Amino acid sequence: MTTTETAASRQPPAQTDEPREDITYLEAISEGLRDEMRRDETVICFGEDIGAFGGAFKVTDGFYEEFGAARVIDAPLAENAIIGAAVGAAAEGLKPVCEMQFADFIACGFDQLVNVAAKLHYRQGVAVPMVVRLPSGGGFSGGPFHSQNPEAWLLQSPGLKVVAPATAADAKGLLVSAIRDPNPVCFLEHKGLYRNVRDQVPEGEHAVPLGKARIAREGSEASVIAYGSSVPLALRAAEELGEDVEVVDLRSLCPLDTEAILASVRKTSKVMVAHEATRSCGVGAEVSALISEEAFEDLDAPIRRLTAPDVPIPFSPPLEQAVLPQLDDMKEALGELLGY
Amino acid sequence: MSSSATSVSVAMPQMGISVSEGTILEWRKAVGDEVVADEPIADVTTDKVDVEIPCPASGVLAKIVAEPGDTVPVGEVIAEIDVGGGSDSTSEGSTAGPVAGEGPPAEVAAASNGEADRSGFVSPVVRRMAAEHGVDLSQVEGHGVGGRIRKKDLLAHLESKPAEKPSRPLHTESPYVPEQPAAAPAGGDGQAPAELGGRREEMTPMRKAIAEHMFRSRQTAAHCTTIVEVDFTAVAARRAELKEGYSRRGVSLTFLAFVARAVVESLEEHPILNASVDGDEIVFHDDVNLGIAVALDQGLIVPVIPRAQRLSLEGMAAAIGDVAMRARERKLTPDEVQGGTFTITNPGQFGAVLATPIINQPQVAILDLEAIVKRPVVVEGEGQDAIGIRPMAYLPLSWDHRALDGAEAARFLGSVKDKLESGAVR
Amino acid sequence: MRGDVAVANGSARASAKAEAREPSGGLLTRADRAALLRFMAMMRAAEERGLTLYRQGKVPGSFYDGCGQEAISVGSSFALRPEDRMCILHRDLGAHFVRGVTPDRYLANYMGRADGVTGGKDGNMHFGDPQLGCVGMVSMLPDMAPVACGMAMAFKIRGEKRVAMTYFGEGSTANGQWHEAMNLAGVQRLPVVFMLENNQFAYSTPNELEFVVDPVERAHAYGFPGVDVDGNDVEAVFAAANEAVGRARAGDGPTLIGCRTMRMHGHGAHDDMSYVPPEMFEEWSQRDPIDVYAKRLVADHGFSADEVDQIKAEVKEYVADCAERALASPMPEPERATEGVFADAWQKLGNGDAPWSRWQSENGSHGANGASA
Repeated sequence: MTTTETAASRQPPAQTDEPREDITYLEAISEGLRDEMRRDETVICFGEDIGAFGGAFKVTDGFYEEFGAARVIDAPLAENAIIGAAVGAAAEGLKPVCEMQFADFIACGFDQLVNVAAKLHYRQGVAVPMVVRLPSGGGFSGGPFHSQNPEAWLLQSPGLKVVAPATAADAKGLLVSAIRDPNPVCFLEHKGLYRNVRDQVPEGEHAVPLGKARIAREGSEASVIAYGSSVPLALRAAEELGEDVEVVDLRSLCPLDTEAILASVRKTSKVMVAHEATRSCGVGAEVSALISEEAFEDLDAPIRRLTAPDVPIPFSPPLEQAVLPQLDDMKEALGELLGY
Repeated sequence: MSSSATSVSVAMPQMGISVSEGTILEWRKAVGDEVVADEPIADVTTDKVDVEIPCPASGVLAKIVAEPGDTVPVGEVIAEIDVGGGSDSTSEGSTAGPVAGEGPPAEVAAASNGEADRSGFVSPVVRRMAAEHGVDLSQVEGHGVGGRIRKKDLLAHLESKPAEKPSRPLHTESPYVPEQPAAAPAGGDGQAPAELGGRREEMTPMRKAIAEHMFRSRQTAAHCTTIVEVDFTAVAARRAELKEGYSRRGVSLTFLAFVARAVVESLEEHPILNASVDGDEIVFHDDVNLGIAVALDQGLIVPVIPRAQRLSLEGMAAAIGDVAMRARERKLTPDEVQGGTFTITNPGQFGAVLATPIINQPQVAILDLEAIVKRPVVVEGEGQDAIGIRPMAYLPLSWDHRALDGAEAARFLGSVKDKLESGAVR
Repeated sequence: MRGDVAVANGSARASAKAEAREPSGGLLTRADRAALLRFMAMMRAAEERGLTLYRQGKVPGSFYDGCGQEAISVGSSFALRPEDRMCILHRDLGAHFVRGVTPDRYLANYMGRADGVTGGKDGNMHFGDPQLGCVGMVSMLPDMAPVACGMAMAFKIRGEKRVAMTYFGEGSTANGQWHEAMNLAGVQRLPVVFMLENNQFAYSTPNELEFVVDPVERAHAYGFPGVDVDGNDVEAVFAAANEAVGRARAGDGPTLIGCRTMRMHGHGAHDDMSYVPPEMFEEWSQRDPIDVYAKRLVADHGFSADEVDQIKAEVKEYVADCAERALASPMPEPERATEGVFADAWQKLGNGDAPWSRWQSENGSHGANGASA
C-alpha cells in the first residue's frame, strides 16, 4: 500500500490560532479515530479489510503502519464473531472500535449486537465500551444490500446508543465521544457524505456530547428535524426556497435531544421530520409521536415526514432516485408545510 | 360585492393611525330614513374615544349590517345606502363583501381559491393562543388553506391591535390606550361571584378594556414600587409667586405641572426610565411623550403631551390644562391617547397618600403624585434639629424590574425630589 | 465453605503425600480431591433443591440443570487461576461454585429475588458475577464463544498470560457462531479454552441430526487440537483443562476439549425426556460422576467411606441453609426494572476464586474478590 506520507510522520496536530482548511467527513472520522488511538492505548480497531488494506473506504488508511497488528486487527468474514469478540474485549477493558463493512451487514452480527452487547449491562452490570462503525446510506447504485439506513432496528434495542453525524466536525466529535462512552455505540457514517461534506473541524481534542442536537439553521416559520444525509438536503432546500426555515440536526438518535425538538416546534409550530431511512416505524415516527404528545398545543399544522418509502433500495438510478428523498421532494414538502 | 349604481356601502372608517376596529354605539338613523351626505349617521367607539360616522352619500338608509355593540374591523361594511338611479356611484370607502375582503389594512387579502372552506378549523396552537390573549377568533382573518386561521394570522392580528402587541394593560389609577378593542375577557372562572348573587351589570367597553390592560400589565412587567417623600415648601412658594401672572394668561398653575417639569428633566438624566422593553431589547425613546392621567366618571383616560421636554413650566401647565379639559369633554382624538413614554398620575387630589400604581404598557415606569399634606417633619438647623410643619407628599414610582433595578429607580426619584425641593423648577 | 477448604488444606499438608494417579499426574493433593467431590456434590444438591423449589412453584419461568455433567464444569474450572475469565453456561453450575458464587445467590436468581446474582434482571442460569470474573450467558447459543474469544484477544494484545474459558453443547456446534468463534480463535491464536459438552441430546435432537463429523475431530480443521475426554471423570477433565490452559498461557493458542457425558434430566424441568432410549439412560446411570469419584476416592486415594459421606452430608446441610437464605431474600423493587440500561462507567472485572492448592501454595491464600489480584 502506498501513502504520500507515512502515518508515523503525522504527529498529533498542535492547536493553532489559524483555522486550517476544511476537511471531509471521511477525513474527520479518520482523524477522530487516529487521535483517540494515540491518546488511549486501549482503543483498538477490528473489522474486515481494515488493517493492511486500510479499510474499504480508507478510513483506517495508515493505521496498521502506525499502530501495528495488535491494535488494528483484520477480522475474518464473521460479523457475529467481530461483534461478540468486541463485547468480550470491552468487558476486559479494551475499547474496540469494530466496523461492519456496510451498515447493511449489521444483520449478520445482529444477534451479538442486540442480545449480548445491548443487554449485558442491564442484566449483569457489565459495561461494554465498544463502538460499531456502520457505513450507511445510498445514492450510488449500491443496491438493496449496500444502501440501507438501519437505525430503526438499533433504536428498538434498549442498551444501544446510536449516533448519526451530518457534518465533518460532528463526525469527528461524535466518534470521539462514542469511543469514550462506556456503552455500545452504533456510529452511522453516511457514505454519501464521506467526500461530499467538508467543513471546519477543530484540530486536536474535539468531542461532541451524545444526546445533544445542533441548530443547523435558525428560522421561525417551520422546522425540519433531520439527521445524516437529510441535513444538507434540508439546508439546501431552505436556501433555495428563500424561506425562514429552521433546521435541527439531531446528530444523536439515542439518546435523543427531545428538548431541542420541542423547543423548535414551540417556536415555529410547523414541523417536518426528514430522514433517508424508510418510513414506517423510523425516527420520523418516533419524533412525530413525541411532538404530538408533548407539544400538541403548539402545532399549527400536521407533522410531516419526508422519508424513503417502505421498499428495499433499488439498484438502477431512476429507481433509486424515485425512492431516496431528493432536493425537489424536500422543497415541495416544505412549500406545502409553509403554505398550510 | 361591489357597490352598484343604486347602492353605496358605509364602511367602518379609519379613526386613528393604529386603530383597527370600532364598536357601534348607536345608529342615529333607522332603516328607511332619508340621509344626507356628510351628516352623522352613527356613533362608534374605539373604547375610549367616540367618533361620529359621516354618511358617505345622500339617499335612503337601506340596510344596517352592524348593530350597536358589534365590533367591526376598519373597512368592513356596516350599512348600505340606497342612492337611487343617477346618483353618484362612487363608492368611497366601499369594499367587497365581508368574507374575502380586507382584513387589517396591512394584510394582503387571501383569495378564496375554491378549496374547501376550512375557515372554521382551528389548529391547537391557534386555539391556545387565542384563549391566552382573549381573542375572539371570529374577528381574525384566516389566510391559510381553505381560509383557516394560521398561527401567523393570529400573530398578525395581535400585532395590529397596538394595545395587544405592546400589551398595554392599565393601571387602576392610570390611563389606558383607546385603540384596544373590546376583547373577550380572558379566562375568568367567575364561579364565586356568580354564586354570591346580586345585581349584574355588563362592563362598558371602557371598563372591559381597563380590566384587560391592567391584568396584562401585571403579567408583563415585573412591577416594583419605590417611594420618595418630597417637601413641597419651595414649590409652594414659587407657585404662589407665579400663579396670578399665569392666570391672567389663561393658564392654571398646579403642583402637577411642577412635578411634570421635574420629571421631564430627570428623565433626560435617567433615560432608562423613558424606555420600553421589546423582547430582549430595551428601546430608549428620544422624546418624552408625557401621559397625564385624567379621571373621568366612567374610568380614566391618559392624554399624551408629545415632546414634553420642550415645554417650559408655563408651557407644561398650559398643556396639562388643555388636555385635561378636552379629556373631560371627550374631545380627544385617538392619536392623542397613544405614544406615551412616561405617565404621571395624580390621585392625590382625592386625598389618598400612598398607592402602588400599575405601569402603562409599554412604558417602564409610572409616577404617582399623592396628596400634599401638612406634616410635622424634622428640620435640620445649624447644629440643632427642630420640628417644622411642611407640605409633604409621597411620590410612588412603579417601575419594571425587567428593564432597570432599584438603584436606578431610586436615583431617578432622588433627582425629581431634589429638583422640587431645591426650587430648581421655575 | 472456604473455611472447610482451609481446614482440609491444613490436614493435607500434615498428612502423607497424595497418591499419584492418572490422569491428574500428581497435580492434585488430597484436599484438592476432597474439594472436587465437594463442588460436584454442591452442584448436585443445589440443583436438586432448585428443582424442588421449581416444583413447589417458587421459580418463575423454566428450570435447567446439568445433572450427570457435574464433572465437566468442576474439573475444568478447577484448573484456572484467579485472573482467568469465564463465560459459564447453564449446565455448568459447578464452575460458578468453584469461582466463588454461593448456592443461595444461585437459588435466589432462579426465584427472581433481589439477592440473586442479577437481582431479578435475568433468570435461571443467565448470570455471571463480574466481581468473580464471569460474563454471564445469553439464551442464544453458542453466543458466548465469540465473547470468550474477545476476552482472550484482550489478554493477547496486552501480552498477559491469562486464559478465557467457555462452554457449549454439541448442538450449538451446528450454529454459525460456533464456526466463527472457532475460526477466529484459530486464526488469531487466542488463549481460549473451549469446553464442548456432548451430552448426547440438544433438547430432543440427537448427535446424528446435529453434525456428520464430530466437532472434536473438526477442531483440527481450525488449526488447533481437539481433545476427547471422558466427561464423567472429573480428574480427566481437570487434567485436560489444565493442559489446555497451559498451552494457551504459553501462547500456543486454543484447544477444544470434547467431554463425553449424558444429560440425565430433561432439557428443562418441563421436559419428560421421552425421546431418550431407556437403555441409554440405564448405561449412563452407572457412570454417575459423583458416585464414580466417591468410590475412587475411597479405593485409590485413602478416603474413608465415612469421610466421603461426611462431605456429602455437610454439603447438603450447607445447601439447605443457602436455600433458606434465598427464600428469605425479597423480590426486587419494581423501580429497578428501568435501571441500568446504560452504564455510567466501565469497571474492571474482578478475579474469581482459584481453590486449587497449586495457586494457594504459590501466593498464599487466593480468596475471592480479588484478594490475589
